[in-house]
Amino acid sequence: MRRSPKPVIVAIAVTAAAATIAACSSSSSGTSAGSSSSTSSSAGGQVTLSWWNNATADPLKGVWVSAITAFQTAHPNVTIQNVPHQNEFFKTNMPIALKSNNPPDIYQQWGGGAEATQIQSGKLADLTQYVSGWIGTLGKAAAGWQVNGKQYGVPYDQHVVGFWYRKDLFAKAGITTPPTTIPELESDNAKLKAHGIAPIGLGGQAQWPDAFWWEYFAVRECSTSVIQQGMTASNMSAPCFSKATKDLTAFLATNPFEPGFNAVAAQSSPTSSAGMLANGKVAMELQGDWEPGEAKGDTTDKSIDSKLGWFAFPAVPGGQGDPSSVLGGGDGWSCTTGAAEPACAQFLQYIDSTEVQKQLVTQASIGLPANPAAESAITSPAVKAAAQAHDTAAYVAVYFDQALPTNPGLALDAAIANFFAGKGSNSAIINSVSSSSGH
Amino acid sequence: MTVLSAARGRGHADTAARRRTWITRPGTYLVILFVLAITLVPMLYLILSGFRTTGQLGSNPNGLPHPWVWSNYASILESAVFWQAVLNSAIIAVVATALAMVLGSMAAFALSRYTFRGRDGLFLLFTAGLLFPLNTAALPLFLMLQKIGMNDNLFGVALPEAAFSLPVTIVILRPFMRAIPGELEDAATVDGATRIRFFVRILLPLSRPALITVGILAFVTSWNTYLLPLIVLSTPSHFTLPLAVAMFQSQYSTDTARVFAYTALSMLPALSIFVFAQRYLVGGLVGAIRG
Amino acid sequence: MARAESTQDRGAARLAAGPEIISGPAAAGAPPKQRSARRKRIELAILLGPPLILFIGFVFVPMIFAIWYSLYNWNGYGPLSDFIGLQNYQGVVTGSVFHQALLHNIIIAVLSVVIQLPISIGLALLLNRRMRGQTALRLAVFTPYVLSQATTAVMWSMLLSHGGPVDSLLKSVGLAALIHFWLASTSLVLYTLFFVVTWQFIGFGIVLLLAGLQGIPPELREAAAIDGASSWQITRRIMLPLLGPTIRIWIFLAVIGSLQLFDIVWIMTLGGPANASQTMLTYLYFNGAERTQFGYGATVSVVLFIISFVFALAYQRYALRRDTAGALTRAVG
Repeated sequence: MRRSPKPVIVAIAVTAAAATIAACSSSSSGTSAGSSSSTSSSAGGQVTLSWWNNATADPLKGVWVSAITAFQTAHPNVTIQNVPHQNEFFKTNMPIALKSNNPPDIYQQWGGGAEATQIQSGKLADLTQYVSGWIGTLGKAAAGWQVNGKQYGVPYDQHVVGFWYRKDLFAKAGITTPPTTIPELESDNAKLKAHGIAPIGLGGQAQWPDAFWWEYFAVRECSTSVIQQGMTASNMSAPCFSKATKDLTAFLATNPFEPGFNAVAAQSSPTSSAGMLANGKVAMELQGDWEPGEAKGDTTDKSIDSKLGWFAFPAVPGGQGDPSSVLGGGDGWSCTTGAAEPACAQFLQYIDSTEVQKQLVTQASIGLPANPAAESAITSPAVKAAAQAHDTAAYVAVYFDQALPTNPGLALDAAIANFFAGKGSNSAIINSVSSSSGH
Repeated sequence: MTVLSAARGRGHADTAARRRTWITRPGTYLVILFVLAITLVPMLYLILSGFRTTGQLGSNPNGLPHPWVWSNYASILESAVFWQAVLNSAIIAVVATALAMVLGSMAAFALSRYTFRGRDGLFLLFTAGLLFPLNTAALPLFLMLQKIGMNDNLFGVALPEAAFSLPVTIVILRPFMRAIPGELEDAATVDGATRIRFFVRILLPLSRPALITVGILAFVTSWNTYLLPLIVLSTPSHFTLPLAVAMFQSQYSTDTARVFAYTALSMLPALSIFVFAQRYLVGGLVGAIRG
Repeated sequence: MARAESTQDRGAARLAAGPEIISGPAAAGAPPKQRSARRKRIELAILLGPPLILFIGFVFVPMIFAIWYSLYNWNGYGPLSDFIGLQNYQGVVTGSVFHQALLHNIIIAVLSVVIQLPISIGLALLLNRRMRGQTALRLAVFTPYVLSQATTAVMWSMLLSHGGPVDSLLKSVGLAALIHFWLASTSLVLYTLFFVVTWQFIGFGIVLLLAGLQGIPPELREAAAIDGASSWQITRRIMLPLLGPTIRIWIFLAVIGSLQLFDIVWIMTLGGPANASQTMLTYLYFNGAERTQFGYGATVSVVLFIISFVFALAYQRYALRRDTAGALTRAVG
């Protein structure tokens, strides 16, 4: 064989050299220690804020981009860099990002106990003094973002969990009004089954949809103060929590969910439970206010929006919780300590301004704005009903895996999901939040 | 007792051979058909799904595109983000593969044809790297890269990828390099070549099938790596293909049809490399001696 | 030229003796002759230096850090302050979910060797033959390997959904009785995942085994065929033994890969339902990264490493020893 290896090696070397040059030049804008943020100077000079949000896709991305443009026009000394990241990124990479020398100036988080955990990094800015003037306009939404009375985060939307149901399928099964108690729900389920319709969709694969069920039973069985104490102390030994498990067991025994629910995704897939609701394979699903937006994408049915209705989680006979209490959450932001905090707080205020909030509702299908003044922009009757329930709720319990610190919160989700799969127990659920690593 | 004489062969080799191949041929084709079905039908599902909307996928998961939607593939091919991501993925993959192949073959040569103290220990060290998946090294790796200023840098992805590909490369190359007869090396020495020269001019060409194999594996591994670029790269213009898929995902929903279209297109470069390279999977020792 | 011919003659003689006897002085054990020890050291430094630097820098050092983290209770925020010694290890080793995960990994590893290997060998032998459309066939079989694990997982999740394409296909050919809850059933899910993993990684085996097959000269097969050996005998007595070393590498990499199974499982099932498909790495990711117990996660990675290391050591000693002692893939021309 006459072929010499030399040309191959030369080719590799040349390629590597070319790649080096290309890589260096393409990353010259992003040299050393992170490129997505720079130390911002306050005191009237030019300020740059890097903003990590999860809007990787339109329409939300478009709303943020136009918000940036408008804000920069009004504040010429401030530049905001939009850096969207996939949602998963925020769950797993924030410890890493907060450790770096250049954490983002503004980033997305979801309040509650998870926020409290992040505060341990020492990098979250206390915005209390900067927002005191306007945070009150957000009403009770802002409370979930305080830790020890200090405002470490600011929400931009709110969420409420309830039943999204197919009005057409209910009508087909002869159900005239949505149920208001659990026994009524169970009899409605029977009617749906009699007409060959799977009553309730559940995205069991993701685990947190299962948790919604148990948590709602807990919210119905336990008084507000018991829930609050439980979340603060990561302790669910109060007897009403075990009662919730009992209620759930009885409910599960009626087989209300679609077959094979353990493997069904909750969202982000056309074969998810949201997709099932959108395509009429199930009649209802207990989900957050994002459900209509999600469902729309999973079906070719253009009229799906008008087919969806909303009703609150039914009352549990004998429960000590207020039947108007809801499970909810929200999305929001934190500023980091390296950022120009006044400018940062101003931008967060702008996002919560009525005009931007209305844009979020109308263009980005954000269910419930953080600013109540923007609720008038909600057109869908179903979403209006959800917003109404949220506003008049006696207590908005943040979903437990967010209210608790991340560690016990996720352990709870897993324990509940195991229970749904028939391999758990009440003690496993109750104890999942107390031991530090429930495995 | 040799194999050949032990074989209970039939006397009429020729006609028997012809008869045998005639019988096995339909069997072979059946197997081929079955294999093709299992491997290609899901791929076909993937490609065809790119011509539907996610809504179609939800309404009728088992159907064909109706109507055929061209915008998924079209908009991806027209988007600068896609091509930028292709470029980034390509740069990283080429660098990582080249490094893994060059350094890996050097190390495999030393570990297969030299004797020295600690050789087996060194090989074990490299093998140990195989047992430590990239996922678990993520956090310390990030902190380290940040310290040396390689964050948000394509090299900050390529170098660790090459490092993690070294063990597989060495594990595969070492036995292949061992198999080259010692006589060839002796011959080269007698002819006045140094061992390094022997390595470059004789051993490497003879190891071509193995080299191509590790090259393909390193390339495909790098091409599809998700976690490392996710951690290292923060500027969207540096994103690789797996990261760029994120633009079709929002917090609550995913445009699955688009994702499938994107993925189908992303496979093309890696597949082309394979088609090109697999031709070189033939050759090696036999051809060398003949020549 | 003369030298090469005499090598060929010697080789031909060995060939005739049969493959079982083909072995010879280990190439690497050849006497150094005039090589000075110093020169050898320089060469080794050149050859091993750069790979070692890259490897130690980007693989070994993070490993050491991971071991360091495992001694702490650390949620990733703030400094490493809560030293708990071996408590994490106690938690891992006594954790029943971890035991389940380990068992699942072992099951996958065993199934890989028992099921995937024969399929890969058969396909490699098939694709090694010169035939029409060889390139296209190889491409077809290799394609699943090129697909990212994430997309494979999403795609098969949809295909295997209840009432989805797979179920519909089975129904249409009258095999509706075979329909099961592929991913929802705690007893089936692990095997369903094994099927998906097999689908994806056959291509890896094909590429590796094809490379190994290239080292076997066709004259060997032709000579045997002329002598009347059936193709099965040729396969069994000539091809497989000569393919031995490559097969043993395959087994090694497949077992290690099985121990590190993550992406496909995580995206399709999150290790569920109820830990029925939990692997060591999904266990690590959930308990370590998601629950921000980074110290605990590091512990799992160390334990996983130790398990893999024990296997690797044992495998090197008992299975690969033959391959490193002498060359069986020596295809002498």
